[in-house]
Amino acid sequence: MLSRRSFFKFLGWGNFLAAAGLAFGPGLIRFLYPRVLFEPSSVFKAGFPGEYPPGTVSEKFKKNPYGVWIVRKEDGEFYALVAICTHLGCTPRWFSSENKFKCPCHGSGFDREGMHFEGPAPRPLERVQITLAEDGQLLIDKSVKFLEERGDWGKPGSSLRI
Amino acid sequence: MEHFLLLVTKPDNVPIVAIVLLLPFFTWLAFSQGRRNDLAGTPAEAALNDKVYCWPYLCRNEFLCAIITMLVLGIWSITIDAPLEEPSDPTITPNPSKAPWYFLALQEMLVYFDPWIAGVVLPGLIIAGLIAIPYIDINPKGKGYYTLKERPFALITFCFGFFVLWIVLMVVGTFLRGPGWNFFAPWKEWDPHKIVPLTNVNLSYLFGIRNEQPAGIFGMCIVVGYFALGPIYYFLKRGTSKFLQELGLVRYIVVSFLFLTMMSLPIKMILRWTLNIKYIWVSPWFNI
Amino acid sequence: MNERRNGLKEKITNNQIWQSMFRHGYEKTGRRYTLQVLQNVWLHLHPPRVTRHAINFRFTWCMGGITFLMFLVTAVTGVLLMFYYRPTAEYAFRDIQYLEFDIPFGMLLRNMHRWAAHGMVIAVMLHMFRVFLTGSYKKPREFNWGVGVILLLVTFFLSFTGYLLPWDQLAFWAVTVGTNMARATPVLGHEGPFAPQDIVTQANDVRFALLGGTIVGPSTLLRFYILHCVAVPLLASVLMALHFWRVRKDGGISGPL
Repeated sequence: MLSRRSFFKFLGWGNFLAAAGLAFGPGLIRFLYPRVLFEPSSVFKAGFPGEYPPGTVSEKFKKNPYGVWIVRKEDGEFYALVAICTHLGCTPRWFSSENKFKCPCHGSGFDREGMHFEGPAPRPLERVQITLAEDGQLLIDKSVKFLEERGDWGKPGSSLRI
Repeated sequence: MEHFLLLVTKPDNVPIVAIVLLLPFFTWLAFSQGRRNDLAGTPAEAALNDKVYCWPYLCRNEFLCAIITMLVLGIWSITIDAPLEEPSDPTITPNPSKAPWYFLALQEMLVYFDPWIAGVVLPGLIIAGLIAIPYIDINPKGKGYYTLKERPFALITFCFGFFVLWIVLMVVGTFLRGPGWNFFAPWKEWDPHKIVPLTNVNLSYLFGIRNEQPAGIFGMCIVVGYFALGPIYYFLKRGTSKFLQELGLVRYIVVSFLFLTMMSLPIKMILRWTLNIKYIWVSPWFNI
Repeated sequence: MNERRNGLKEKITNNQIWQSMFRHGYEKTGRRYTLQVLQNVWLHLHPPRVTRHAINFRFTWCMGGITFLMFLVTAVTGVLLMFYYRPTAEYAFRDIQYLEFDIPFGMLLRNMHRWAAHGMVIAVMLHMFRVFLTGSYKKPREFNWGVGVILLLVTFFLSFTGYLLPWDQLAFWAVTVGTNMARATPVLGHEGPFAPQDIVTQANDVRFALLGGTIVGPSTLLRFYILHCVAVPLLASVLMALHFWRVRKDGGISGPL
């Protein structure tokens, strides 16, 4: 039988541990995740479609803070690939002579479509939303992602046909 | 070769060169004392068991040691400048990109295992395993003196893990891994366009299993069977082995799990070199 | 001559100010040697007497002491470097250049800080190697071995967080490669096995807590700076105090008897 003394002992310790646990556990962890992030905007305009000849990979928006390749296929279809290797997050390079994206860190290779075909990368490069803005420019939204392994690549917004 | 010498003398690689030189010396120092103790039957330290005053005898040695260390550090700091490369640029990845030298063994493991094993699970198990050592090593001998023959298993296991799986991998990762994390012999130039034919296959494929589901089950059997080797050995030998009885089931399971996990790295490496094995177990959620 | 020297010594030590600071005499006796250690806050880490093999370099290699010395060197040089370093993406790299080219002894301090940090990693590994080879982790020192392992981890983490601060290509990519492994943490990393899709994302996984963002950026620099200069050194100091204290309480430095 729980005596009154030990009941209050458990109650006291329980309160103390719960308060300390909440403060240093969930409290501290939540503190590490701010509500607002000052990172580069995920939406940007990438010029007019006519600036991209069919059958090319453009590195124009690979630079900071954009980080995407804009690829135009021979048939005129556009898509945007995120320039982050799916293995460990290095920035791959485009080798037009070898027709592939090659990651310098661990040698993962991706073809023009973004499919992984060599090295340790576990999945293809990610595509992001590409649409036309009102003024006729390409509009890229990096917050909307299309992943091949989830079957997203055919969905509207994953590519742009003009 | 010139290129290799340049790499070895790079400022940030000095610590590795220091380790490569220091470790053999200290290993020799320890092992020669261990051998001497083993031959004599009683540890030499036992003869030095009388007490001396800390001040001045110990403090003098500490002071001497500190001065010599500061002298070495001072000369090192005056002669070799800390590296500073061009300002950071998130869009240009240098080829190759390497973690700090003390993490290069982990980065080297990434060649053989997926990031979740090489970067998270294995480091976690290394730490947990190290902490567990005093609780699973029940050998009462060899406490406080150098010895070789009184604890062979402990010494061999630790030295294998430390030298082969930590130091050697670190040296390989620093000096022999070039662009694309490809392997380059010391006398070879680093060629960023080196093409390595990738012919890796999964183990199940090698056994002629082409379908996804049987292949997954096959891989699971291999991995689970590998880790079951420990318990199986225990139940076969516990009747006759006094050592196993003393160790007990719980300790034994921990020892065998940690030991088999450690050995899985060299096994996977050898499988990769000889049979070009990519994964042993492929499942929809993870690959091993 | 000798008389004059003794007279001078008498003048310096035989007054209220000196004796208020140093309570023991200077005679060469065991009593004084004991008091010297017991009455000095910096030395009382030691017992008054140790076994003779404990002061033998061949036995101890002095690596634990060297690790501690390297920690002190990095602490002192680190505090001095902080005078000129601002942990923001705009200034970090330029401040390092400023330190190197325009601050007297700036380059030397930076070199000492970096090489002492690397020396600490080497020394701590050799210390662990020695402790293992002499079986010094065995009962009753099990717990202190565990504290030592955590200290090894803390040393790695101190060095790793400092690696980012110059904010050059070497730092940026070493840390990018290093922290990207956290993406693959099972369940808690957004690319790890068993992580629930669309619930664990780039913006709330375990890597985010370390980086303060989805990429290595300005907030990562600030976070690593705070960890490197304040949080982890504090943790290391607490653990070191515990480690040294336990060496004493577990029977001093290990020996065969």
